Amino acid sequence: MSTPDEKKLLTGFKHNSLFWTDLLYLMSNRQQSIAATGPFRKFAINAKNISTETIEMNEDLAEFNKRLGAYYKQLSDTWNEAQGEYTRKVPELPNDVEHIEASKRIWIDIFENYFTRLFDSAEFAENFGKLVTSELEIAKHWNNIASTLLESANMPTKKEMDEVYKELHSLRKRVAKLEKIANKEGQENDK
Amino acid sequence: MTNEIKVDPKVIAEFIKLNANIFEAPNFAKSLEEVDLEITPYEVVYSEGKVRLLHFVPQVQRQLKTPLVIAYALVNRFHILDIHPRKSWVRNLLNQGIDVYLIDWGTPTQINRHEGFDDYVNGYMDNCIDYVLHESQSKRVSLQGYCTGGTLSTVYAALHPKKVQTLTLTAPVIDGRRDSTVVSNLAKHLDVDKLIDTLGNMPPEMMYYVFSILKPFEQGFEKYLNFFKNIHDKDYVDNFLRVEKWVSDTPPIPGELYRQWIKDVYQENLLINNNMYVGGKQVSLKNITMPLLTQVAVGDHLVSPECSMPIHYAVSSEDKTLKIYPTGHVGMIASSFSQKKVLPEFAQWLAQR
Repeated sequence: MSTPDEKKLLTGFKHNSLFWTDLLYLMSNRQQSIAATGPFRKFAINAKNISTETIEMNEDLAEFNKRLGAYYKQLSDTWNEAQGEYTRKVPELPNDVEHIEASKRIWIDIFENYFTRLFDSAEFAENFGKLVTSELEIAKHWNNIASTLLESANMPTKKEMDEVYKELHSLRKRVAKLEKIANKEGQENDK
Repeated sequence: MTNEIKVDPKVIAEFIKLNANIFEAPNFAKSLEEVDLEITPYEVVYSEGKVRLLHFVPQVQRQLKTPLVIAYALVNRFHILDIHPRKSWVRNLLNQGIDVYLIDWGTPTQINRHEGFDDYVNGYMDNCIDYVLHESQSKRVSLQGYCTGGTLSTVYAALHPKKVQTLTLTAPVIDGRRDSTVVSNLAKHLDVDKLIDTLGNMPPEMMYYVFSILKPFEQGFEKYLNFFKNIHDKDYVDNFLRVEKWVSDTPPIPGELYRQWIKDVYQENLLINNNMYVGGKQVSLKNITMPLLTQVAVGDHLVSPECSMPIHYAVSSEDKTLKIYPTGHVGMIASSFSQKKVLPEFAQWLAQR
């Protein structure tokens, strides 16, 4: 979550942006009606959705940045700890083939252990889960913006396509069920 | 011979040799596009949507009457079970006189996002098994499930016990709470509802991320170093590229199937507690009464043995065998070890039943 200061700043920004978007929209509505006719009129009406989505996306970007920062910190801290352990175990750089091979093995084992411990930890999984969630929030806004643009261009949106997929899925199930009943009846008739 | 920086000349020679190998690599290795993963001939005997039922061409005279149906995992494609002529799971079974069918789940797209366990178990799997029963004139099939295919096979055997003669589960995902792997750790903290509601299917990039954090230094660094070191070894290069091509072919997982898998198996642990529902029916592991063989690998870093083994104790089968092998998740099905140890024991177990 964002800090209270960040939240206050974003709320103020959101309010200002939406206030001016609304007001400008209202002020130009009559003129737009005259200037933008036909299909383009739809885009003018939907323009507010795009600016709302963009503003809300900024809020989620703050959360995403926070989680991404924590993710990279976990990776770099673990790298530094592993490197420290390696330096303690192999204080001098080897200069013959056998020792280089052995120190490479030690390096891999140490790094593998440290990073596996990190990836196995609840702290990593928790932050990773929240990082993915914040990315998905951003993806949702992208989807909504894309849907607004598609709708303005009179093209099917993701939601509408999904309705088709859902309907197809349900139809396939019904057909399969009917096929089974028909086959069973056919077999019984054959007997 | 000495030099100013006091480095053993052999080190410099090794370094130059490695560089030469990297430079020459394209002359000795195919690109992944050129690698053909089809090894053992098969016939597509049934297909439904993107799912195909493959019937492998027998190599010797059939020794067992009951056909074996393999339900491959939902992760990557089935080719790992037939990755190399000398490491092929399928070919080994064929050579032992077993009639082998395999369910290839294909590559789902957004149109498949609403497909769940019900569609996979009571739809695709059941239809494939009905086809095999009809074609082979058998009353039952031997069913084997690998990894998440093991989860599907478990649910199938619990819901359709009359069609299954024997059940073999190879590294099945059963008890998510006991799973100590990185995969399980991430799965438990994932907002799967948001993921599926937003993206539709589980995208391949995210699956690939999960694989990337499993042994990242051995798999992401040393493996490639060894590849260049062994670039003149034809067999090594061939095997390496086959596995790499298989690893890189990660299809999406249908959304509803993924949602239920993560929730019911990893997050709420419903399957092992007999509280999972598929197609409106409760999945009771007590319904599994047929002979059961559970194969687990101690070095499995994708599905830990603790996650697979509880199935052995949860079923009602009186004839049940638990085999623990000193290998890994892939080593159990595609290695010299599996050819020498795992497969002969599996075929013998099938023959005795």
